[in-house]
Amino acid sequence: MGIRIHRALVGIALAVAAVSVQAQGTIRIGLVNEATGPNAEAGVYTVNGARLALEEVNAAGGILGRKAELELEDNQSTNPGTVLAFSKLFAQKDIVAIIGPIRSTQTQAASPTIAKSGIPVMIGGTDPTLTKVNNRWLFRGRPSDSYSSRVIADFGINTLKRSKWAIIHSTDAFGAGGMNALVSALKAQGITPVLVQGYTNNSQDFTPVVLAIKKSGADIIGSYMTNSPDVGIFAKQLRQLGLNAEWVGSSSVVTDTAMKLAGPALHGVYSIADFTPDANDESKAYTAKYRARYKLDPDVYSSWAYDAMKVLALAINNAKATDPESIRKGIVGIRGWKGVEGTYTFDDKGDGLRGYNVVKNEGGRVTFIKHIDFKD
Amino acid sequence: MQILFDNLQVLFQGLALGSIYSLVALGFVLIIRATNVVNFAQGDFAMLGAYAMVMFFTGLEWPYWLAFIASLVAMAIFGVIFNYGVYYPLRHRSFLPVIISTLGASIFLQNTVLAIFGPQPRPMDKVLAADGITVGGVFLDSQYLVILAVTMAMVLFTYVFFEHTLLGKKLQATSQDKDMARLLGIPVALMISITFIYSAVLGGLAGVLVGPILFVSIGMGSIIALKAFAATIIGGFGDVTGAIVGGLLLGVIESLAAYHISVPYKDAYAFLALFIFLLIRPSGIFGEKVSEKA
Repeated sequence: MGIRIHRALVGIALAVAAVSVQAQGTIRIGLVNEATGPNAEAGVYTVNGARLALEEVNAAGGILGRKAELELEDNQSTNPGTVLAFSKLFAQKDIVAIIGPIRSTQTQAASPTIAKSGIPVMIGGTDPTLTKVNNRWLFRGRPSDSYSSRVIADFGINTLKRSKWAIIHSTDAFGAGGMNALVSALKAQGITPVLVQGYTNNSQDFTPVVLAIKKSGADIIGSYMTNSPDVGIFAKQLRQLGLNAEWVGSSSVVTDTAMKLAGPALHGVYSIADFTPDANDESKAYTAKYRARYKLDPDVYSSWAYDAMKVLALAINNAKATDPESIRKGIVGIRGWKGVEGTYTFDDKGDGLRGYNVVKNEGGRVTFIKHIDFKD
Repeated sequence: MQILFDNLQVLFQGLALGSIYSLVALGFVLIIRATNVVNFAQGDFAMLGAYAMVMFFTGLEWPYWLAFIASLVAMAIFGVIFNYGVYYPLRHRSFLPVIISTLGASIFLQNTVLAIFGPQPRPMDKVLAADGITVGGVFLDSQYLVILAVTMAMVLFTYVFFEHTLLGKKLQATSQDKDMARLLGIPVALMISITFIYSAVLGGLAGVLVGPILFVSIGMGSIIALKAFAATIIGGFGDVTGAIVGGLLLGVIESLAAYHISVPYKDAYAFLALFIFLLIRPSGIFGEKVSEKA
C-alpha cells in the first residue's frame, strides 16, 4: 500500500514536472474549431491552414525563440459548443492567445466569455459589429461585411460603369444586412437603386423577381443571397427570361456548389472574395504550399486561419512578451503586413483588413479581376 | 401587351409548381384514405426519388431513361419497406403513434441521406435536352412542360385505375371500410401495401421531375410537402380530385400574389389561403364527398 502511494506520488511529480517543462518550453495557442457537426468539412481546412502557418513559424525560429504549439478544441459547429470550447481553453493558464471561429454567430455567442477572460482571440466572422461591442480582445483576420458592399458598389460603378442598380437579397439577417449596407454604399456615390427586391430563403420560383428586374430597366444586379440552390434557380431563370444585366454578388455566387448547380447560367458573373488563390504573391505561394502539403486546393477556411496564426506570432514577437496587454499592443501595432488575404493594418478596434478581391466566373473557372482596398 | 405576357409567364410557373404539389398531395391522400393517418414522410419520398436518380444517373452513369425507371422501381420497393417498417407494426394503435412513427421515419431518412450523399445540393439533368421554348414572349421551360404532362397523365391513370379496374375497386373498398372489405375476401394488408407502393412512386416521381428545377437536396421534400399538405386540406381532406385541384390552385395563388403583391411573402399567401379555407370551408372544396369517392 505504502509503496503504491509512493509510486503514485512519484508519477504525479513527474507529470507536474513534465507539464511545467512543456509550459516553459513552448508557447501554446488555442484553436476553437469545427471538428464535428455539419461544418466539420470546413474545420479540416481551418486546422490545415493553422498547422501550415505553425510549421513555418517554428521553422523560422518560433515565437520569442521558443517553439509554438496548437491546442485544438472542438466546438461541434454550434454556438453553445463554442462557448464551452473557449471556457476549456481559458482554463489552461498557459494558453496565451486563441484562434476563434470563422462564423459570426458563434463569435457572438462566445463574445461575453472572451471579454471576461481577457485573452486575445483572432476571429473570422464578418459581421461588422463583432469588433465594436465593448470587447477589446477580438481581432478580425478577414474583412468585415461593411467593406463587401462598398467593394460591390465601387466595382459596379467605377469599373463596369453601370448606374441603374437592382439589389436582390435574401430576407434573413445576412441578406437584409448586406442590402442595407449596399444601399448606403450606393448612396455615398450618389446612386439610388431602381429596385430593391427581397425574397425568402428556399424560394422555388424567382419569376416574379426576374420580371421585376426587367420592368425596372436595371443594367446591373447587386446581390446578397444566402443559399446556393436559390442562387442556382435565380441564375437559370434570369437567363431563361432573357436578362443580360451585369451581376456582382456577395461570395455566395462563386461557391463551388452554386457554380455546379447553375452551370453556364452563372458564367460571366462577378463576385467578391476575401481569399483568391491568384490574387497576390502571398496567396500564390500559399496555394502552392498548401497543395504540396495536403494535396487539396486551399479555401477561405484555411487561408484565414493561416493568416491568423502568423498575425499572432508576429504580434508576440514584436511585443516581446506573452501577457494579454502586450499581445494586444502587438496586434494593433501591425501596419502593412502582407498576408494571404490581403495587407493587414490593424486599427484600435481590432480590424485588420479593409478590402476584397473581385473575381469573375469565366466559363466555370473563378478568375481574379482586381483587389479593392479602402483607407477607412 | 408585355403585362399580359408577364402574367401568363407567372401563371405558367404557378401551374407547373402546383402540379408538383398535386403529385405529392395525391400521395398524401391515398395514404390518408387507406390508413386514416397523415404520412409526414411524404415529402421525403420525393427527396428519396430524386436521390435515387442522383445515384443511378450521376453516380452509376446509367442512361437517363433507365435511371428514371430504376428510381421509380426503387421507390416501389421502398414503399413496401416503409409500410412494414413504419405503418404495419402500429396498425392496431390509434392514429397518433402512426403519425409520430412517420415523423420519426422522416428524420431518419433525411439523416441517412445526409450521411450517404453529404450536405451539398446536387444538380440534375432535365428530361428533354432543350432548355425550353418561347411562345409569344412567354418562356416555357421544357422541364415544366414535362411536369405538367406527367401530372395530367398520372391524374388520368389514377382515375382509370381506381374507377375502372378490379384492383382499384378493391383499394377503394379497403379505404372505405376495412372490416367490410375483409369480409368480402379482399386481402386488406396487401391492399394497404399496394397503396404505400403507389404513394411512394408518386412521391418519387415528383422528386425526380422537380430535381432539375429545385435541385436535389435533403430539404427539398419538406418544402414541397408543407405546400402539398395545405393543398390536401384546401382540396378536401382525403379527396383525390381535391388534392389535384388544391395543388394547382395553391401554385397559381402563390405565384400571382408574389408577382402582384410582394415576393418575400410568397409562402405566406399559400398559408393565408389555407387559413381562409379552414375558416370559411373547413371541409375543403370537394370535402363532402369524402366517404364516397376514391
